[in-house]
Amino acid sequence: MNATFAIAGATFGEAVRKRILMVILLVALLIILISPAFEPFAAGRGARTLIISFGFGVIQLAGTFIAIIMCTGMIPTEIERRTIYTILSKPVQRYQFVLGKFFGAVGTLGFMYLMMGIVFMIASRMALGELEPKIVRGLIMFFFQSSLLAAVVLFFSTFVSPLVNYFLSGGVFLLGNLLSSFLETIQRNPEVTPITRIPVQLLTVILPNFANFNVQNPIINPEQVLTDEFAYLVQTLAYAVVYIALLLVASMLIFNQREM
Amino acid sequence: MSDLAIKTVNLTKRYSGLWSKQPVDAVKNLNLEVHRGEIFGFLGPNGAGKTTTIKVLLGIIYPTEGEAYVLGKPAGDPKNHYRISYLPENPYFYDFMTGREILTFYAKLFGIPEPQRSKRVNELLDRVGLSRAADQPLRTYSKGMQQRIGLAQCLINDPELLILDEPTAGLDPIAHIDIRDMILDLRDQGKTLFISSHQLSDVERVCDRVAILNKGVMVQLGRIEELLAGGHVEVIADKVPDNAVEPIRQLGGKVSLHDGRLIVEQPDNGSVDRVIDIVRAAGGHIISVKPYRRSLEDLFVETIQGGKNA
Repeated sequence: MNATFAIAGATFGEAVRKRILMVILLVALLIILISPAFEPFAAGRGARTLIISFGFGVIQLAGTFIAIIMCTGMIPTEIERRTIYTILSKPVQRYQFVLGKFFGAVGTLGFMYLMMGIVFMIASRMALGELEPKIVRGLIMFFFQSSLLAAVVLFFSTFVSPLVNYFLSGGVFLLGNLLSSFLETIQRNPEVTPITRIPVQLLTVILPNFANFNVQNPIINPEQVLTDEFAYLVQTLAYAVVYIALLLVASMLIFNQREM
Repeated sequence: MSDLAIKTVNLTKRYSGLWSKQPVDAVKNLNLEVHRGEIFGFLGPNGAGKTTTIKVLLGIIYPTEGEAYVLGKPAGDPKNHYRISYLPENPYFYDFMTGREILTFYAKLFGIPEPQRSKRVNELLDRVGLSRAADQPLRTYSKGMQQRIGLAQCLINDPELLILDEPTAGLDPIAHIDIRDMILDLRDQGKTLFISSHQLSDVERVCDRVAILNKGVMVQLGRIEELLAGGHVEVIADKVPDNAVEPIRQLGGKVSLHDGRLIVEQPDNGSVDRVIDIVRAAGGHIISVKPYRRSLEDLFVETIQGGKNA
């Protein structure tokens, strides 16, 4: 595990120094900080809902961009720069390299979420006069959503170029957010033929369901009522962990056969 | 224990792209033996298959046909990676790290525990002359310093075999000499060095044996002194009359005469005296007599161009 953690540490160190990621983080922090100023646009939803939803929206968007930008080049860049040859010629197994890269990415996301979370809590505490407990739960959900996305991007990065990866990962994230709602809609509609329904059902099962993680956002899901919020949280996080594990195993298998 | 550090038997690496009709043999039937304790030069023009061979030896890519052994074990055997090291051509090291941090990173990959790790890192920094710059980020290092840190990361595990890809490329003369001296020091310590390089003067100076690869096929292999045997001597003379040329031509070698200026290239020293005698007897003046030793560059160019013309 020494090698895995050494690679994770180097990945984290490199990612937190990437200007583009820092710019995204700083812009997000700035928007979160000034989000209480948007209160006059609440239009009946209430200041609390607006500030919380707005903050979560910014955090989710920043987390998504950070995960995609950080992970697309993670393996191709190492090959292009030949750094990977100095690592794999040491007693490092390929699976350790993939794991190290993923842990480094998750560490970076954790750091980014911590920064955004702290600023979000300070901003909402100042605006609302109290600490909203849903913020922590929401942050955990979005952190796991971004980690799952990072695993998807890393999986693609074991066999496609960064440019293709941007589109593939972006597409999977978009579909993973929309498919479950789309499936519900077409299942309610009796006119939809099996030719349309079955592929959608299949894709909904295969692709990661990113929409599950959005429940904390009352603007995205205003009618969502959870009977047992804790059970839902545990179930969703367990789903993320299992899906991430499957993606990592697939990434390791592909990367093990890859010629560089 | 086998006397061979590297052995390949009919090694072939074939690439067949998804859309390309014709598969390409990057390396074809390569039979190579590198002995322990020698410096072996692995030469060839760009695209000859040198880096492909190295990647097979490291287990980064897999052979299509044939076999490759490193230190007596199949290439890519993870246990071997404790005993070998690799310096790629123009590698990028995480440049946010300092010299000390990057060596610590590589030491961690070997699982070297503290306090041995710090001790080893300090020793290596000292050995490659970077102790004073140890705590500077790598992005502030010159090309020569980067190459020295690259060599230091190669030595972290005290390897038996070092595979160096273009170790002196792009270096200034001082850094060049430094790295070359380090390579000779390593040989003196009993290490085996497998060097792929285009710096033929360096290879000629430090290597015991060389192989030349062209289009994936090995076209030359041998000890440097054997491969470079047979130089020539160039005689330049002035005011040489036309009638002196024929007897000189009969001695062999290349002869050219223009406006009384004679240039003769003789393959050995034996007939040079005769050439000088003929020129003097005909009233000509000897301007210079220069012996030319065949260089590795000459051999390389002849071999590769011969291959092109064949």
